Amino acid sequence: MDNINVLIIEDTPEQSDALSNVLLANKYNIVGVARNYTDALTLFYQNPVDIIVIDVFLNEKPDGITFAETINIVPNASKPFVFLTSSQDRQIFERAKLTKPFSFLMKPFNELEILYALEMAVEKFYEQTNVFLSEDQDTVISNDYMFIKKKNALKKVSLQDILYIEVEDRYCNIITEKEKFVILISLTKISALLDKNKFTRTHRNYIVNTDKIEEIILADNLIILKGGHKVNLSYSYKDFIKKMNILS
Amino acid sequence: MPKFNFLIFLIISLSSFLLSSQSQSTNKLFNDVIQKKAKNFKKETNFNKAQDYFIKKNWDSTLIYSLKQINSSKNKELADYCHFFRGCGHIKLKLYKEARTELHLISKKFIYYPLVNKNLGQISLELKEFEKAIYYFKEVEKLPITNNQGYKISIIYENLGICYLHLNQFPKAEEYLFKSLQIQEKEKEKDPVSLISLYMDIANLYYVQYKDAQAIPYFKKAYTLSKKVKDFDKKRDASKNMAVVEENRGNFKKALIYRKESEQWKDSLNNQNKVWALADYEKKYAVAQKQKQISVLKVANKLKDTQRNTMFFSTLGLLLLLVGGVYVYGQKVKNAKIILTQKEKLDELNATKDQLFSIVSHDLRSSVNALKTSNTKLTYSLETKNYSELDQLLHQNSAIANGAYSLLDNLLHWALLQTKQLYFSKDSVHLHSIVQQIEHNYKPLLHDKSIAFENAVSKNSFIFVDLDSLKIVLRNLLDNAIKFSPENSKISFYTLETNSNFCQLVIQDYGLGMSQNTINELLEDNELLAKKSNSEIIGTGLGMQLCKQMIKKNSGTFAIESELNKGTKMILSFPKTEQNG
Repeated sequence: MDNINVLIIEDTPEQSDALSNVLLANKYNIVGVARNYTDALTLFYQNPVDIIVIDVFLNEKPDGITFAETINIVPNASKPFVFLTSSQDRQIFERAKLTKPFSFLMKPFNELEILYALEMAVEKFYEQTNVFLSEDQDTVISNDYMFIKKKNALKKVSLQDILYIEVEDRYCNIITEKEKFVILISLTKISALLDKNKFTRTHRNYIVNTDKIEEIILADNLIILKGGHKVNLSYSYKDFIKKMNILS
Repeated sequence: MPKFNFLIFLIISLSSFLLSSQSQSTNKLFNDVIQKKAKNFKKETNFNKAQDYFIKKNWDSTLIYSLKQINSSKNKELADYCHFFRGCGHIKLKLYKEARTELHLISKKFIYYPLVNKNLGQISLELKEFEKAIYYFKEVEKLPITNNQGYKISIIYENLGICYLHLNQFPKAEEYLFKSLQIQEKEKEKDPVSLISLYMDIANLYYVQYKDAQAIPYFKKAYTLSKKVKDFDKKRDASKNMAVVEENRGNFKKALIYRKESEQWKDSLNNQNKVWALADYEKKYAVAQKQKQISVLKVANKLKDTQRNTMFFSTLGLLLLLVGGVYVYGQKVKNAKIILTQKEKLDELNATKDQLFSIVSHDLRSSVNALKTSNTKLTYSLETKNYSELDQLLHQNSAIANGAYSLLDNLLHWALLQTKQLYFSKDSVHLHSIVQQIEHNYKPLLHDKSIAFENAVSKNSFIFVDLDSLKIVLRNLLDNAIKFSPENSKISFYTLETNSNFCQLVIQDYGLGMSQNTINELLEDNELLAKKSNSEIIGTGLGMQLCKQMIKKNSGTFAIESELNKGTKMILSFPKTEQNG
């Protein structure tokens, strides 16, 4: 599991420092702190960013909104973001609201509020609302990552790293080459959210990353994955092999 | 010379035919029959009208209604009658060819077919087709004399005679004319006019054959008879004939007398015509006068009409104006009332605002003042190096700052709400997390008073509200709860699952509590702020006001349950987020 990369766009050093401290304390990665619009764009394109925290007013200009508008226009470039503001100016809000998905946090805020806002931003951005705070799910799945809530903070796992997923009741065991952990999500949801071409059911309880398959032993109903992991193959899910042949 | 005479005779004989045919039209027998028919076919209004006009000799109308009858009804018998009417009508209007085609349309079964033949004969005679005429008249003659057709056989004989005369078949002409004469002389009521023409016909017959001796007596007979009748035409013809006869005999004196007599009749005829014309003209003039009068009256009527209309419209306009005036006045009075009540309300609100400002400014001033004195103490403590007191003073300072900040925050939100500038956007909100976040800010305060905090809000309740206004509400209520709670007590937030659409949140403390009166005062839906009865503890009331309005804006409800010295339950309910998967 990796930490979440946060880009902070905030012109006041005291505030950005306070924010950095809170986020670092909750195991978030700060990839950079931008003081103005140009810096923000450079940092955004130079670093892998998962979430952006944007102050609406940079040097008394609503450049924060401009930044959000800019990254919103570029297809597939946009990331979840949270606006910070101390103004309740209606006009600013009406403008900011157009950069969907829109989430904001009023200053001053406490630790819990910023963490909540970040989680909300991720949920809204990937259109999987009411996940992190409900009792039966703790993972949002994007095209590249799984965002998992561990205690107070978010973590992520690259989908590419996953070898296979073992489903057990309401839980899923995620097995990567390096580690193994449990997330809370139902089978129907996880199969709907994962890319069907990459992740295939091989058994009632197994979803396998097809890129990681090394060998299929039909006689023993076994699939050997990278790193020697063995997964059961049940008769009713054998069809996926045909697709594999076509691909190879 | 004889040739010239002959021409005159021809004309005379033709005119005699016309007269005889006219007398023929009053066929009473036939008229009675068609009247009976009309009674039998009362429903055929067209036929009724046609026969009525036929009897009255209004030929144009007869033609119209008979045609309608033919077109509308399929009754063949009536159709025959109608064709007959049309035939007769056309004859009277001298449209002989149309008359003939009409008469040919009548079926042979028609009871009065002899009359048809007779008319056809007359048409042929009129068109100088004498042989055809003879054929038709012979057809009529074949019938027995005593039939019910209502025509006089003498006239048939006369017409036959005239036809033969024109064809120069004198013996036959003589035979028929005499037959006619015999019959006419036998009649009880002699028709002198037709007798005169008959005499003249006979005279002409002989005269054409140069049998002057036989001709002259008849001319004389015609002449003497003509003196007894009033028909000027006949008188003139008779005297003219006499004149021609005398002239041929060389007796010019007598001829001259007859000629003059003839001229005289002609004149009197002309005079009569003139008199008629004059009468006609007078009649026309009178009619024109009447017409003029009528038109004048019409104009006068129109004038009256327009006058009446203008009167009517002007009264209507005035009435409308009056009603409009009354309405406008009523509106004005109403508006004045509304404005008055609005003014009262505004005054009241203004007073509230003034009061608020005075309270707020007092509070802020005292807060800042406290901070100032505290800071002086702090400086003094630092100078005297009394470090043990520093910690306590700093805590005190932060408490005062917090209080002032929350007051300012409330004030700001209240102002935004009042000026409708508050940004408001509903979203799905996880209530448990929000309560936790609020608590996080009050941890030091709770710790100071050693109050236990319990967040028992269901982790699965998501409500659909504006996050910031919810925070303001919860902050204020928690602030109040802490304020009114004694040390070492407990404050708990929990949800009640009651109905499916709303989530109920309860904030319970075990503090001072309040009386029902206070509750009522707090919940009263006016914008007045609660009076400061206990200046130390009870605040501006601004927080409560704000809470009420924010909850209302979030389509929630607010209730208070409290007992003095036992504690208070603030019960809020908010709409749940609609679950869609």
